[in-house]
This record gives sequence, C-alpha cells and structure tokens, in this order.
Amino acid sequence: MADRIMLIEDDKTICGELMTLLSANKYDVGVISDFHRTYEETVAFAPQLVLLDINLPYEDGFKVCAKLRHSFDFPIIFVTSRNTDMDELNSIMTGGDAFITKPYNTAILLAKIASLLKRAYGGQESTVVEHNGVMLRLENGCAERGGASVELTKNEQKILYYLMKNAGKICARANITEYLWDNRIYIDDNTLSVNVTRLREKLTRIGAEEYIKTKHRQGYLV
Amino acid sequence: MGEYINIRRYLKDRLAVIALNLAGMVFMALFLLSAGNSLDTVLLVIGMWILAAVLYFAVSFRARRRYLMGIIGLADRLQEKYLVSEIIEKPARMDDEVFYWLLKSADKSMLEKISEIKQEKQDYKEYIEQWVHEAKTPVTAMCLICENNKETVPRILLAELERADQYIEQALFFARSDYTHKDYIIRETCLEDIVHLAVAQNRQLLIQNNVRVEVEDSEITAYTDGKWIAFIISQLIQNAVKYKSDTPVIKIAIGMENGSAFLAISDNGIGISDDELPRVFDKGFTGTNGRNGEKATGLGLYLCKRLCDKLGVGLSVSSDGKGTKFRLVFNGNELVING
Repeated sequence: MADRIMLIEDDKTICGELMTLLSANKYDVGVISDFHRTYEETVAFAPQLVLLDINLPYEDGFKVCAKLRHSFDFPIIFVTSRNTDMDELNSIMTGGDAFITKPYNTAILLAKIASLLKRAYGGQESTVVEHNGVMLRLENGCAERGGASVELTKNEQKILYYLMKNAGKICARANITEYLWDNRIYIDDNTLSVNVTRLREKLTRIGAEEYIKTKHRQGYLV
Repeated sequence: MGEYINIRRYLKDRLAVIALNLAGMVFMALFLLSAGNSLDTVLLVIGMWILAAVLYFAVSFRARRRYLMGIIGLADRLQEKYLVSEIIEKPARMDDEVFYWLLKSADKSMLEKISEIKQEKQDYKEYIEQWVHEAKTPVTAMCLICENNKETVPRILLAELERADQYIEQALFFARSDYTHKDYIIRETCLEDIVHLAVAQNRQLLIQNNVRVEVEDSEITAYTDGKWIAFIISQLIQNAVKYKSDTPVIKIAIGMENGSAFLAISDNGIGISDDELPRVFDKGFTGTNGRNGEKATGLGLYLCKRLCDKLGVGLSVSSDGKGTKFRLVFNGNELVING
C-alpha cells in the first residue's frame, strides 16, 4: 500500500505540481480544499506524513502543526519560502521534523520524505537491485552475474543503480549527472563518460557484455 | 577642541574691556595729578589697578577654561556625541544659554530626522524580506514544473531559474547585511553539509559550465549561521564560474588551524592580479577581469565581506595567477563566549 502524504499548501500551482511529483513517486496525495477546515481535512485523510507550508490562509502552519502534534505523531515537514532562523526555530518548537526552504531541490525533498517515513514506520529498503541477470548489492557495492562478482567504485555503483532503477527507459546523460550531483558526486561530462566506460569493462568481466547500451544523442539504457 | 582655549584668544575677546581699563587708568592718572597728588601716589594707584585687573583676568580665564574643558570631556566620553546637549547643564551666562538652547533644538530636530530615517529603513527592509518570500513562490512553482516535465523542458531554463533565485537571495542578504540588526542564530554547524548545500543551490550553473567540484570529507563543525555561510560560499562559487578556465575545477577544503576551523575555496580560473587583490572586497570594485567581457556588479564580494564581518568570520583572498583562493576562518569559540 502506498504511503499517504497530506499536502497543506495554498498556492495552487505549487500544490498541483507537488501532487504530480509525489504521485509519480508512488505516494497517495491529499490536498486541502477548504482552509477553514485545514485540521479536520488533514485528520480525515489520515496521512502518514504531512508537508506543511507556513503562510496559509486563516491559520498559519505553526498553529496547524501544534494542533496536529497534540494528538498525532506522524512526521511533519515544513516547506516554506520564509527562511529566517526564527521560522526554523519555530518549526522545531511546534514539533516539525524537518524544514525545507523554497525553491527546493526535488531530490532533497523526496529523500527527506523517504527517510522520515522509514524512520517513523520502519520498512526495509531493498539493498539488492536486479535486472536482466545482473545483481547490484548496495551493502558491499558489488555487481554479480551468475557466480562472478566485481567490486564497483562509489561513482560506478550510483550510475548502475540509477540505470537499473530506470530499467527499460533511456536515461539522458543530463539526468544521470543530476542524480549523481544530488548524491554529492560532483563530476563533469568527461568524468561521466570515463566512469561509464570503466563500468562497462567491469560488467564485461563478469560476462555482461553490452549490458549498458548507448542510445545515440539520447543517453544510456539497460 | 581644547586647542581653541588659550589666554591670547581669551584676551582678544576682551579687548574692549582692556581698552576701557586703560582709558580709566589714563583719566584717573590725569585727575590725580591735576588734584595735586605726587607722581609716586599716582603710580601706586595705577599699579594697584593693573594688579587687580591681571588677577581678575587670570582667575576668570582659569574658571572659564575649567568649565569648557568639562563640557568637552563630557562629550568625549559619549558614544553618540550628538546627545551631549541632553547631559550638559544649563549655563548661567546669557550668550552661553542662547547657544545651549540652539544646540538643544538642533539636536531635537536631528533626532527626529534620524528616527524617521531609521523607520523608513526598517520598513524597506521588511518589505524586501516580504518581497523575497513572495518572489520565491513563483520560482518554486517554475522549478517544480520543470522537474515534472524534465524531458521536454530545456536545462537552460533551469539554470536561468537558479540564477533568478540567487539574485533574489542576494537582495535578501543585502537587506540583512546592515550593522544594526541581528538576523542570525549561531549554532554548531557541520561545515561539509553547508558546502554541499551551497553546491546544490548552484547545481545547474556548475553542471552546464562543466565544472568539477571536489569537496573534502570532514566532520569539522563551527559555531556560526549555516544559511549565511551557504550564501557566502554560493557567491564565491558563482564568482569562480564567472572567471573560469577551460577545464574548471573548484576545490573546497575544510580544516583546523590554530584552534579555529577554516574553509578554503580554490579554483583554477583566471585569477586576480596582485595590485587589484586588496580592493576586491570594496563596494563597486570590478577590476580588469570584471570590466573585460564578464559583467560584474562589484557587489558580490563586498556583500560577502560585510556578512563575514557581521558574523565574526575572517575572509581573505589570495591569487597566484593560476586561480583564486578564498579562506573563511571561524573564530567560533570567541563568538560563543562573547555572543
């Protein structure tokens, strides 16, 4: 069952786009239709996590948060354009679990949501990814095929992980680069090519030749 | 102001009185002589007169000097010298009192003016803060739209959005940089996390300029405001990209030196010439790099310096012609004790 996220945001565009983003990442999303009844609607949705803006009509985010905290302990993430230290302190004082400022990096937002959900409700994130006969073990960073195994560097692991997660889809170089940057690997275009070449060599060593296909002018595909 | 008080000036101001005395002496001498007194008697009387006059001038000069030095001393001990009229006693002499009341009324009107300007400045600052938060909403919406339509939206648009956001951020920090307000909270901050935050804020700019960034792993923390430091690093990163070489690399090192944490940001760009180096933090200074080709406002580094001063962070720059290196030194412990 998908995790349920309540979106308390009064800007219609942002609300709509966040809904698209979260739905695409397999979450059930609820939104507020009447800000007079923010609290009631949130409770009725029974969310596992709440994304909360500070500037809201009728009642600001801090008040909503304090009220929710009174009877619920699901994670609450403040998402706001007000990034003063006072706001951040207030958000912690009223019981917020995280504070993310606009315009947020979506990768950071999604990672925060995933980690808070995991912390609150447990759940085992799979440490093994498999596609087309090749297995990537995240715990030791090895790629396996049949009985053969090869150790990958951090960069190679991340590239292979991204390709396998998006198996069957063409991954643009720009998307891979952005994914790596989101994971604090700041490489340039040449380094990406070098890393992909090395990754291919290693995969060939365990018998997975032509595992990563190049789509000319589009990107890579597994 | 003490140099204005001397006996010559004092006597010069009293020339008329001195002349009157001299005239009195001449008439007195003539009168006494015509009344048949001896020359000795006349000289004795005149001598007594002169003695009395000199004594009077000496004593009154000393008293006057003591009074004036007292007021000057009072003013010197004040931090806001314009408040002196509030604490000096009302003088007894007529002309002094006129000046006293003049000073008071001048002060009053100036204080009114100052508080008016302060209020205006505060209003403007609040407006900027408000404006920044409002401007961020559409920027956020645009970022999300781009993210949700990644495959069809050109990356260049994301980079431009990032730039717009950075300019908005700059306005916010400029408003916060004046010396009268304290808008920061000093907390123990992991420097590496702050660096990653600053890099993330400039992700598109760096990727599209094909910049490689190397960040040293470090657990070092400093007592400072992370948001401010992230903004400063962000400005330095943007500078590094603006004046980059063909194969740009930005290296960020974190370490300890003499008990203080430091953060060093070095690039392999075109560097800054020795004669311009001392002036890079000046307001409006653009340098030959800034004037040739790349547009520069002369604001970024000035703002960094101001924010660093306010936070008590040391900011220095060095360049060897093959790149530029900025260093931030956190004198964390002192701040915690004094702050």
